[in-house]
Amino acid sequence: MPKALLFVVILLLSYGFWLSDEFKGIAMGISIFLFGMLSLEQGFKAFTGGMLERILQKTTDTTWKSLSFGIVSTMLMQSSTLVSIITISFLSAGLLDLIAGIGIIFGANLGSTTGAWLIAGLGLKVKISAYAMPMLVFGVLCSFQNNKQLKGIGYILTGLGFLFLGIHYMKESFETFENTIKLADYAIPGLKGLLIYTLVGIIATMIMQSSHATLVLIITALSVHQITYDNALALAIGSNIGTTFTAVIGSLSANVQGKRLAGAHLLFNLLTGIIALIFIREFIIAVDMINAALGIAAADNTLKLATFHSLFNLVGVVIMLPFMNHLAALLEKIFVEKRPNLFRPKYLNSSATGFPETVVESVRLESIHLYEHGIHIILHTFGLRKRNLSDQSDLKQLIEHNNGPVEYDIDAGYEKRIKGIYSAIIAFISQANFTWEMKQSSKLTWLRDANRMLVEAIKDTKHLQKNWGRSRTSKNQATRDEYKKIAYQIVLLIQQIEKFRQEIAENELPLLSLDVLKVSIEDEDMQMNRSIDTLIRERKITPETGSSLINDSTYMYNIKKNLIKTAETLFVHDNANTMRIEQQLALNEAEIKEIVQAVDAPITDNL
Amino acid sequence: MNKEKLLHKLQAFFDPAQKRKKRHIEELKKILRKLKKKEQKITGKIEQADDDCLKKLYQTELEIIRLQRKKGIDVLQQLREHKGSSD
Repeated sequence: MPKALLFVVILLLSYGFWLSDEFKGIAMGISIFLFGMLSLEQGFKAFTGGMLERILQKTTDTTWKSLSFGIVSTMLMQSSTLVSIITISFLSAGLLDLIAGIGIIFGANLGSTTGAWLIAGLGLKVKISAYAMPMLVFGVLCSFQNNKQLKGIGYILTGLGFLFLGIHYMKESFETFENTIKLADYAIPGLKGLLIYTLVGIIATMIMQSSHATLVLIITALSVHQITYDNALALAIGSNIGTTFTAVIGSLSANVQGKRLAGAHLLFNLLTGIIALIFIREFIIAVDMINAALGIAAADNTLKLATFHSLFNLVGVVIMLPFMNHLAALLEKIFVEKRPNLFRPKYLNSSATGFPETVVESVRLESIHLYEHGIHIILHTFGLRKRNLSDQSDLKQLIEHNNGPVEYDIDAGYEKRIKGIYSAIIAFISQANFTWEMKQSSKLTWLRDANRMLVEAIKDTKHLQKNWGRSRTSKNQATRDEYKKIAYQIVLLIQQIEKFRQEIAENELPLLSLDVLKVSIEDEDMQMNRSIDTLIRERKITPETGSSLINDSTYMYNIKKNLIKTAETLFVHDNANTMRIEQQLALNEAEIKEIVQAVDAPITDNL
Repeated sequence: MNKEKLLHKLQAFFDPAQKRKKRHIEELKKILRKLKKKEQKITGKIEQADDDCLKKLYQTELEIIRLQRKKGIDVLQQLREHKGSSD
């Protein structure tokens, strides 16, 4: 809330408190209710360390599924805001597409209308304050526990307790308010009233940042006839529009995907509101008919309001559902994804920090982004480009005939392409809350290690560059050949990793198939050392050149080992269960060496 | 079903560690089957390969898969023994 507006609200509230005790009671009721909402959200967040995300990932592959997810999750959590925030996080991290996100938001709008039913049907008919007290006691008791789940349940119980208590205070205060001032006397009939009260509903929800709080206020006021039924309908329409304000504010820190989703939320609620305003008479008739069919008394305005709230949101969903693809296309046009600055982080944004899964996925995607830059640097060092890695290219030929000057500035490349993104990843990981489940924490540790290994590979490439550059002008054929072999083996491994990446979807045992590459690295290292020994023995190279070659072949070995470990962490990530077993069966260093000894022959043919 | 057996079944049903172990064994068996299939495929490739270099390449892959399978079978045996002793 802007500071000036906050100041005005505080002044107005203070004036109101001075004027009337009942007003104070209503405001206290709203505050307790809002605090209950916060506590409820906090409680549900305790369960978002995996379960909710897993459900979200599995149940949003079709429009109906995402719509149902939105309805059910909002119905259970009674907070469309929490559902919107989770959806924005998932969308920002690339775990959901825009259509699925829009489906969830539509569903959340419909699901949130159950709140009005609960308040009108249960909150006002039953003495809920009697339930509030034990809930608060048990809730506080549970929230003091160390167990995460129990703590979550504690917050949920406390939240519900405060919600009930808030409703109770609002109801009581409105009842006594009735004896002093009759707000219904200020009712404005007709179109003017409709528009003014819609605006009041928008502003009230924008200030309270909760359509639930506005609705409970409307329903309790309506139950004691402090506002007219017509004005209550307008207020409900206003609250539906005002609630998008929270989503719009939340999307300001999100990336373009988050902004698109907030746009969808705004457009949906605005359009639904306009439809409800235009066809208000028809809606009133329809509500009367539905309530009559459901056996609800014609005089029960609070339940009629709940029916109206559900009905106009349902109509909105029915109208908008066929145009979901058009809506997504329109939003993609309005919020154009800026051509990303290649050298800046693409996937790390604050909207992804809310949930463990989105943090891990954002870091993984950003690490792949960094890997691409790392590969760019290594390939350029040897005078090659990424396009040269395609299967059609004969790497041997390319390296053999690449005799032009190659003076790639690795330091400048590192500063430009690596440092900024690498630092951003490290900062992002360190900001993550490590009290999460161990699983997520260890995934982040692996990703951090993968990035470190990539950086080490680049640094080793830099060490190697000096002698490799010199060798290109060497008069000694054997020296030239050995350095070409080094370049070839590094580039070949990068090509094999690329191939592995492309075929990973069809690879049934991705982690285990990487063992073949690991064995080839060990084997090539053994062959290389043997070859250098032979060259020195046969006096084809001097011992000085031999020692440089041994050092550089060690750099090559380290580059390859680091690249394969990086690829293993970045690209093999699905199905945690299978992966754990594959890890058990994957060969360790000693076993790899054992295989190399057994085979003892070059796997990749030499240059 | 006698009472003792029923009790064991109930115990297994309510014991999450036991359930996890059972799932682990199932997954492991699936992986071992895939490895077996891969092994057969590569054996076929070795028989068909004319090039010595290619033959050697497949031979290495075969050795790797055999070792992975051996490790898998050992893990499976250990899990079964452990399961048996805890039953």
